[in-house]
Amino acid sequence: MFEDIPVDVSPIYEGERIRKGQYYVELAGPKSKGAELARVLPMDEVEDERVTIIGPDLDQMQEGKAYPFGLYVKIAGEDLETDLEGVFERKIHYYLNYIQGFMHLNSRDIIWCRVSKESYKKGLRLYHIGKVLIRMYKKEFSAIKKVEVVIYTDPKEVDRFVEEARKVYAKRDERLRGLKDEDADVFYSCLLCQSFAPTHVCVITPNRPGGCGAVTWLEGRAAVKIDPNGPIGVIEKGKCLDPVKGEYEGVNKYVKEKSGGKVQRVYLYSLFEYPHTSCGCFEAIAFYIPEVDGIGIVHREFKGATPIGIPFSTLAGQVGGGMQSNGFLGIAIEFMRSPKFLQADGGWYRVVWMPKALKERVKDAIPKELYDKIATEEDAKDIESLRKFLIERQHPVTKRWKKEEVKEEKVEEKKEEKPEEKVQQIQFVQPQLAQAPGLIVPNFTIILKNAKIYAEKIIIKKK
Amino acid sequence: MILAVSGKGGVGKTLVSSLIIKYLLENTNYKILAIDADPDSNLPESLGLEYEKTIGDIREEITEDKVPAGMTLQEYFEYKLMSVLVETDRLDLLVMGRSEGPGCYCAINHILRQAIDTLAKNYDYVIIDCEAGLEHLSRRTTQDVDVMLIVSDLSKKGINTARRIRELANELHISFKEIYLIINMYNNEKIDFEEVNGIKVIGKIPYDPLVKEYDIKGIPLIKIPKDSPSYVAIKEICKKIFK
Repeated sequence: MFEDIPVDVSPIYEGERIRKGQYYVELAGPKSKGAELARVLPMDEVEDERVTIIGPDLDQMQEGKAYPFGLYVKIAGEDLETDLEGVFERKIHYYLNYIQGFMHLNSRDIIWCRVSKESYKKGLRLYHIGKVLIRMYKKEFSAIKKVEVVIYTDPKEVDRFVEEARKVYAKRDERLRGLKDEDADVFYSCLLCQSFAPTHVCVITPNRPGGCGAVTWLEGRAAVKIDPNGPIGVIEKGKCLDPVKGEYEGVNKYVKEKSGGKVQRVYLYSLFEYPHTSCGCFEAIAFYIPEVDGIGIVHREFKGATPIGIPFSTLAGQVGGGMQSNGFLGIAIEFMRSPKFLQADGGWYRVVWMPKALKERVKDAIPKELYDKIATEEDAKDIESLRKFLIERQHPVTKRWKKEEVKEEKVEEKKEEKPEEKVQQIQFVQPQLAQAPGLIVPNFTIILKNAKIYAEKIIIKKK
Repeated sequence: MILAVSGKGGVGKTLVSSLIIKYLLENTNYKILAIDADPDSNLPESLGLEYEKTIGDIREEITEDKVPAGMTLQEYFEYKLMSVLVETDRLDLLVMGRSEGPGCYCAINHILRQAIDTLAKNYDYVIIDCEAGLEHLSRRTTQDVDVMLIVSDLSKKGINTARRIRELANELHISFKEIYLIINMYNNEKIDFEEVNGIKVIGKIPYDPLVKEYDIKGIPLIKIPKDSPSYVAIKEICKKIFK
């Protein structure tokens, strides 16, 4: 298949790094510029098997230098959709690394390539790079009927090409951001943190990245392919039991099994009843503030106190350890950009307080009309000032208050309903009670592992 | 082959690491990767290399950066690693840099380790100058080490650290193919043991005034003369390890 290519082409060269002393030239990379782009085009716009080089080839380059480099792969086939462009483009990385003495790192407009002296001496030229790509695509994807490769090394042409490519990336990203949980075939789970929190099972969906922010659904998909027996696993979604709260049959089943029965149900998009567990690895915490019936969010870097009087570190103690705590949720900052962000609880319209730095960081995700209505540490330091701020700015949660007040007046019994219940359960985070949190919550659990207890006398009394 | 140098702080880990690298550069044609895993050490200075960024820096950057769509975090890390790698003819250097911030690094470190493994496969020898103490063991950053060298002076604390390293490795089920003890700053004292807790003493490095002088003047230790007593001792040790 590669008899006419002067060097070896094989997966064994994956991970090969060409070191400084070994390379003939660098293409693109930090010392120059470049990009790669794969596009799915109509059949008549792709000339099959053709490789065009615009600018100098390797033998016209000076040893030890870095050159601009653009790589354009045009692909056609009757059944191909443009949605596949990203997948095809990523293949460039693998195919090029199969070439002995060719190193390819990264993607898009930050690629970085090196060609080894040895392979150059054996006769490797850019033309061969194009040929390898064409053959690999056709071999791996039978639906691909035509492949054409254009390689740019002329500085002006590369400039133009990089600009063009960036426009395509931007469009593609927009579409990807639109990927929804209901469109995904499976979800993923991460059990990396179970050594700290044995009952914690992280569920990763397109709209819910892992709490640590490091593992997204796409990351999960890639990880499973690389290491099927690793800490990332596949969750069969099963039936969707509640599209608003985000409850899936398959998720419940999986979490139940992997948490040793400790966690029975999970709502992916809610802070209440069956919120997602956390190990301790989360970038931020969403917490219910019963006094204003709103949600506060605090991130790890914020060192001050929240309006409920306690800092991130104390809150973290309530959320972590693989426990479901009603009204508290460990989240990734990226989750705040998700269309499902606390969907069941009112999403952004329920958020009343955030540190200024965090608000600034996720500004793009906050609905415009809401931005000035969310308080920061500069606007509200306690519940009273928070309440004032919310009334003054007419935050949407204030409408909820009115409703409740009206309800209370009209139907006395309604008082017993959910909001009240929540308040009761959540009281245990109040700082004055924090010394003995477990004993104040109804239905509390104490887990002892490998414990030896010696005592002359133990008295537990109900207050 | 991956060789790690560990021990209590200030016992001469960096001296041992840099002189082993000197030996490999002078006596072999191998490609070497040096990893400075001690936030308080000065391995780059000892090797006479300058660096701009550390792995600690990219670890922080990566939580801020948007990983390009379609790329896995590991692939992106591999690229980032390459960009902080200090490259010379046969010796490359990675600096781990500052220790972790307040964030959570379970997943990140796991991925980082895989990325370093991928890079390390490109070298004949990887020399890790470990951080002082035992944390690298419990965090399992030195899991797949072939040779573990523990450096100690003759102080009780130093020897105790060596002992603890062995115990901890057993507890955590980490097995090194070989593990040796090097006595540094040896001044012809009487030593009545040949091993500590089953760790064989592989060599003794005599007190060498030149090491201190180089340190004070800021001359890279790797430039120490071939006949200086510390290097002569390291050469003997290397002959035993790389037989």
